[in-house]
Amino acid sequence: MSALALLGAFATLLFAGYGLLALLVRQETRFSLTEQIAFSWLLGTGAVSLFLWIFGLFFHGVLLRGSVSIVCLSLGFVGWRRMVPLPPRRTPKSFEIFLGIIILIEITIVFYLSFVHTLGWDGLLNWEIKARYAFANGGVLPATYFSDSGRAFSHPEYPLAIPFTELWLYLWLGEADQFWAKPIFPIFYVVGTFLLVALGKRLAGRTWLGLLLAAFLFFVPQITVEVGSAIAGYADFPLSIFYLAAIGCLFCAAEQHNTVFFRLYAACLALLPWVKRDGVILWTVAAACGVFVILRTKRSPLFFLGFLPGLLIICGWHFYLSTMHALQPADFLPINPETLGSHLYRIQPLLSAFLAEFYNLPTWSLFWFVVAVGVVYLLRRMPDPGALVLFTALIVPIFLYLLIYVFSSWPSYLDHVGLSISRLLMHVAPVGFLITILAVCRGSAKNPTRVHEGGMGTCGSAGSERTPMVELA
Amino acid sequence: MTSRFSYGRIAHAMLWCGLAVASLAVSIPKIYSGATAYPLRPTGPLHTCDSYLKFATGASGVSKDLISIFQSITASKRVIIFTRKDDAFSSGLGMTSAYLASPHLVRLFEINGTHPDNELSKMNPDEVAAVVFCRINRPAWLPAGKVFGSGLEVVSMPETVRR
Repeated sequence: MSALALLGAFATLLFAGYGLLALLVRQETRFSLTEQIAFSWLLGTGAVSLFLWIFGLFFHGVLLRGSVSIVCLSLGFVGWRRMVPLPPRRTPKSFEIFLGIIILIEITIVFYLSFVHTLGWDGLLNWEIKARYAFANGGVLPATYFSDSGRAFSHPEYPLAIPFTELWLYLWLGEADQFWAKPIFPIFYVVGTFLLVALGKRLAGRTWLGLLLAAFLFFVPQITVEVGSAIAGYADFPLSIFYLAAIGCLFCAAEQHNTVFFRLYAACLALLPWVKRDGVILWTVAAACGVFVILRTKRSPLFFLGFLPGLLIICGWHFYLSTMHALQPADFLPINPETLGSHLYRIQPLLSAFLAEFYNLPTWSLFWFVVAVGVVYLLRRMPDPGALVLFTALIVPIFLYLLIYVFSSWPSYLDHVGLSISRLLMHVAPVGFLITILAVCRGSAKNPTRVHEGGMGTCGSAGSERTPMVELA
Repeated sequence: MTSRFSYGRIAHAMLWCGLAVASLAVSIPKIYSGATAYPLRPTGPLHTCDSYLKFATGASGVSKDLISIFQSITASKRVIIFTRKDDAFSSGLGMTSAYLASPHLVRLFEINGTHPDNELSKMNPDEVAAVVFCRINRPAWLPAGKVFGSGLEVVSMPETVRR
């Protein structure tokens, strides 16, 4: 029964996501099956959690679940009518099959690990708690939760994408079950590998390269087994995957005048602040990159409307919190020039702490060293807007994260850093993989295989994919 | 032929192969130890809470009992939770108890030492549904509550309790 209920929950999520993907793609570009699954999951979790929150302002109980289900199914119907075109099938090479099997084994291990481990501390007390309380209250978070000082530790001000995805599962299961909330997180890992494979193909024109880098995702301990990893029920890994999707799509949109990728970028961008509060920082950086791409590629000012959904989510959530008289977070001092001036002495120790984290081998292995080598390669492509986007998307959030600790209100700000730095760096880690892909396929801009290899279109060819066959489909 | 196997290409390939092998050599022991450190745990709707509570108190299946206690007391009153400053176990027990105490409003007191007499004496018992002691000694004047393993005691407050 639980399995059927879970199947229903995941199916409706994917229907909603696929419908939105179909609406965004408008049959203009081909997407591989893995890309379609990945984007359907990301858009589905974002949409269902937003629907639950917004509809929850008006209904609760069966009506809430029913109305969200109807919207999901309707979106699924739209998706069925306007199916996203698949690329022509091609026979995979033996090395690709080998890498695919490796990735499959890794995914199985990640699922196993997520079932073996309990939810992490924040996974339970910051995220799952909201799903449980909302479930017990008919699908809506009780108003008292936001102002209950005794539960301030659970950060009532945190956004709801992850807890309300868990809530969706609970509504289908008919009970709040900490065990069955966990599959959400390895699915984000699967989506991360799918995106790396697909973006590797689009960036480098070589499927094996995407597969190889996706296989290496497993070998970053912070992503697989460390505190706050992909299996712990934290929002950090899902946030990193949304960021990967947004930046990857922006890169593709920047390389060629491809509107489909820009629309997908705008959708993933909008969901960043909905996944985690820190997502506002990533949103700011990714939006700045988007502005750069619009100006650099001389696109219509209408493209600036792509930032509107994200702004609406940020403002809507803050308005909601103020209406609910939510407690103000106490982790940071007021951000103003006076506080900055009086805490500038922290910058040097913070820099040391960040640098120490980069060569923390038990947590990161050689990942940051590899990315540093990748960045050196990337610098040679710097006039390229896509390369500049990747560089900015990797470096700027790290500096902004460093800067926010200047405002930490913890008695020992270095303890604050020590507890969260690895998870914050994880937000940009998948972008580091994209940079590595570009570095490994050095000089890919001149590489003819990038455009022509394989059946699936790359960024280079995606803009001109509106074939008669696609139109008919 | 020259461009296909240039020194630059060979160096490039060797660099990345070397990095890949070194990364694997550093990562595999860590991943292996992380992946094999834990056995399969029992599943259940409260399995994470149960694991935390068992780790902190030594008692199994505590979550369900705690929920039954919190459900049996007046929902309109607060649950007071005492934890000890600088004691991560106590703090963890307190937060897990607060998690399970829903829909009651809760108030967490972090105190120095293990005797909450001062804080308790200032409270109006009419507004308190239960008091939870997390690695804190229950004052002798308060009736004994339900004890879970070592370090967790929940006292449901009858209307008449006065110091």
